[in-house]
Amino acid sequence: MLSPLAPAKWGFASAAHLLNRAGFGGPPKQIDQLASLGLEKAVDQLVKFDQNPDLTSPPAWTKPDSDRVKELQEFRKASLEERKELQKVRRRMQRNHMTELRHWWLNRMVSTSHPLQEKLTLFWHGHFATSVQKVKDAYLMWRQNDLFRRQGAGEWLALLTEVAKDPAMLVWLDQGQSRKENPNENFAREVMELFTLGEGQYTEKDVTEAARAFTGWAYERADQRFVVRPRWHDAGTKTILGQSGYWTGNDVLKLVVSQPNAPEFITQKLWNFFAGQPPSAELSQALASEFVRHGQEIRPWLMTVFRSEEFYSPTVMRQQVKSPVFWLVNSARILQRELPPAEATNNLLRLMGQELFAPPNVKGWDGGLAWITTNNLLTRYNSAEYLVSGENPLNYATNRAKKGPNQPRRLPLAGAVRLDAWLEEEDWVDPEHLLRTLETRLFQAPLREKQRANVREYLASRTPLDTTDILHAIRLLMSTPDFQLT
Amino acid sequence: MNNPPTLKTRREFLQGSLLAGSLSWTIPAFLSRTITTLRAGPSTGETDRNILVVVQLAGGNDGLNTLVPFSNDDYYKARPNLGVPARTVLKLNDEVGLHPALGGLRHLHASGQLAVWQGVGYPNPNRSHFRSTEIWQTASASEINEKYGWLGRYFDHACAGAEPTVGVSVGRQSPQSFAGPKPLGVSLEQPETYRFADTDPAQGNMASGESFYRHLNRPDILDNGGEMNTGGSVGAVAGTIASHQNPLDFLERTALDAQVSSDRIRALNKNSLNRVSYPVSALSNQLKLVARLIGGGLPTRVFYVSQGGYDTHTNQSGSHDRLLGELGSAIKAFNEDIKAQGNLDKVLLMTFSEFGRRVKQNANGGTDHGAAAPLFMVGSKVRPGILGTAPDLTPTNLHNGDLKFTTDFRSLYAGVIEQWLGTESKSILKWSGPAARIT
Repeated sequence: MLSPLAPAKWGFASAAHLLNRAGFGGPPKQIDQLASLGLEKAVDQLVKFDQNPDLTSPPAWTKPDSDRVKELQEFRKASLEERKELQKVRRRMQRNHMTELRHWWLNRMVSTSHPLQEKLTLFWHGHFATSVQKVKDAYLMWRQNDLFRRQGAGEWLALLTEVAKDPAMLVWLDQGQSRKENPNENFAREVMELFTLGEGQYTEKDVTEAARAFTGWAYERADQRFVVRPRWHDAGTKTILGQSGYWTGNDVLKLVVSQPNAPEFITQKLWNFFAGQPPSAELSQALASEFVRHGQEIRPWLMTVFRSEEFYSPTVMRQQVKSPVFWLVNSARILQRELPPAEATNNLLRLMGQELFAPPNVKGWDGGLAWITTNNLLTRYNSAEYLVSGENPLNYATNRAKKGPNQPRRLPLAGAVRLDAWLEEEDWVDPEHLLRTLETRLFQAPLREKQRANVREYLASRTPLDTTDILHAIRLLMSTPDFQLT
Repeated sequence: MNNPPTLKTRREFLQGSLLAGSLSWTIPAFLSRTITTLRAGPSTGETDRNILVVVQLAGGNDGLNTLVPFSNDDYYKARPNLGVPARTVLKLNDEVGLHPALGGLRHLHASGQLAVWQGVGYPNPNRSHFRSTEIWQTASASEINEKYGWLGRYFDHACAGAEPTVGVSVGRQSPQSFAGPKPLGVSLEQPETYRFADTDPAQGNMASGESFYRHLNRPDILDNGGEMNTGGSVGAVAGTIASHQNPLDFLERTALDAQVSSDRIRALNKNSLNRVSYPVSALSNQLKLVARLIGGGLPTRVFYVSQGGYDTHTNQSGSHDRLLGELGSAIKAFNEDIKAQGNLDKVLLMTFSEFGRRVKQNANGGTDHGAAAPLFMVGSKVRPGILGTAPDLTPTNLHNGDLKFTTDFRSLYAGVIEQWLGTESKSILKWSGPAARIT
């Protein structure tokens, strides 16, 4: 298991697959470049991203707020009326920051030279599923995002430990104030159930004992940092997962990660994310052993995975439903267009069911076929029009009071795709050539003959073709079941 | 085993009198049903059947502050700050009453349309959100992992040949309750946007963009002489017979359902109005739409809506009050709307939540995940009243600080399936306990 793909099988299709899964795909030129490197160097280029510097700067407000303490004091002194107003102002600012933060991240995904780093950040975001709806602080959400970006390809225990002490996580799982008199169970439970071991691999007693070990871990609101309060800590012996000792929070994390079934849990999730399906029992074992072999470090493990023949199996290639984020970022990349404005991207992703920084529940996003309902599919088809022409075919009024919450708002104009950036002269005059160009760019693989026939008929009915016709054709191609797969 | 049919044209296929016979093993079962529907058109007996409306309270509703045991000292001892003061409780009898924000439900109780089932839960309660939600959605025992939902299995058993709109979920995601071996049911947020928005209209002889969209979204099966997606092209699995879990087949099937249901729902929604005024909330909007679809005659057996936010670990009183207020007022308005339509006798609404919350308040002004909790049923045909047995609050009789259940939720599901939806429940629920009397 996990032997390298035979060189004869490497080519455009497998390079496209690698770029789609280890990143967000890209236009034919990028795929060709990757293909020309051969399997090993192509994987190297994607996985060893640290070797290229990344100089993107974060949003301006993502730094500690020196006015924070003063603001908190003012708030305490304020009257009820004044407090209401201050809160309103703060909420508006937070909303704006979140809109900006989401867009900032999406732009990174679109233009990054480290696609795997962003893809991993997205994975960890889903895995640790922390939502701004409870954390209520855009700066803390950015800090967590930054942590995933910096450490997401490193050692599993190191990442887990830093995440467990991350302020957004502490707030998310109520670990800000856990005292020995009243240990917080939520955190201990989710660490085992969701992050490291999975259901049924621990007992309720393990949870309550681990909760005791985590007491004393706290969150200092004033300067927004993790602190340890020894007086809150239950220093007695605890028995967790069969081991007894004067365990602290750090010890619990070491204990869970060194459980025999822990490597399988996390590697299954990683494989499912990148390969698009759960691994067979045999493959799962192999993935876990490989992970252990590399000291539970993500990067070298991914090298093996992305080189393995299993990764390029026909049951894996082109079988993964695009997540909404992938759908948007990949479409922008292959259409070679700018993302629409922040307000629009925020809305689109929310409608499609993947609002960044706000996963629907503690499990993150189920993914796969769960992305697709009758509603979501139509949303993708209509959003395709917006991406292609820059105009939302469903624009209507923002009368929230009348229509109630959760209604999509009018989307701003976003500019059309610029076909002259990538269409060749032949494409304008030879519909068959155009068809192949669009096929390669949009699907990186041949379309089913019936779909080709439909598109041919469309193009024939619109000849001679102008920009609008070709944009319509792209929108139609994006409005197919086929386009939802990568 | 039949041979795959030789199909000449799409029209012949659809109109063929051999349609039933041509549904061979190469056609995934869910498509055979859809094809039958396309040919048959809406069936007339459909709109006379009973309708179930499921309201999910997501996050774990604190049952003790919902149906308040105001005459019980143990309640106030466990919740010195969080307990609902007895003088504010909307008393239903000498022992329990509703949270003050549930005036809407109290009104329904007064008119004999409210059933409050007490202590609803299941053996070996699970305190994980999605595991317990999964248990409620799939009606499985807590040790068993069941993939399909209880409503999906109901559709499968009892709704053969039904339209995709036999189940309608209002919201972005399809609930696991609907998941089935032949997935049925549609999800939508609102009719106006539930369509393919065309910007490429027909002109003269030139067909519209929309008509090409429809062709591009017809399952292969309707054009392919009955053959599944094969070959090395996009989405195909080379050389294998695709199961209905082949993502491309699932996508095609969903695309077809989207078209069929979109056409139906939009046509119907245009002519249907709400007859009462509703409060403003997300839940209310969902129920408004459900009411319009019922009034418009959509042949749906089960509607599903969801209200989130019940996971009140911290500062519970503000948020819980608001949620219950929204819940009570939305259900009351919905009930009045259905009555104005003349459909009151046909509709039963049922709430559920993945668990209740712990008896003792926590240190953050809230409560943690618990177990048993009350469940509401609303309708003119429900057996009304405070039903089941009140769970025991005595500290020594709790299970790890949680209420022990007195009514298994599956007995309520069984009651709904048998007495309301009119079919046998044991093979659907895979549970052989007695059905509760719900009507």
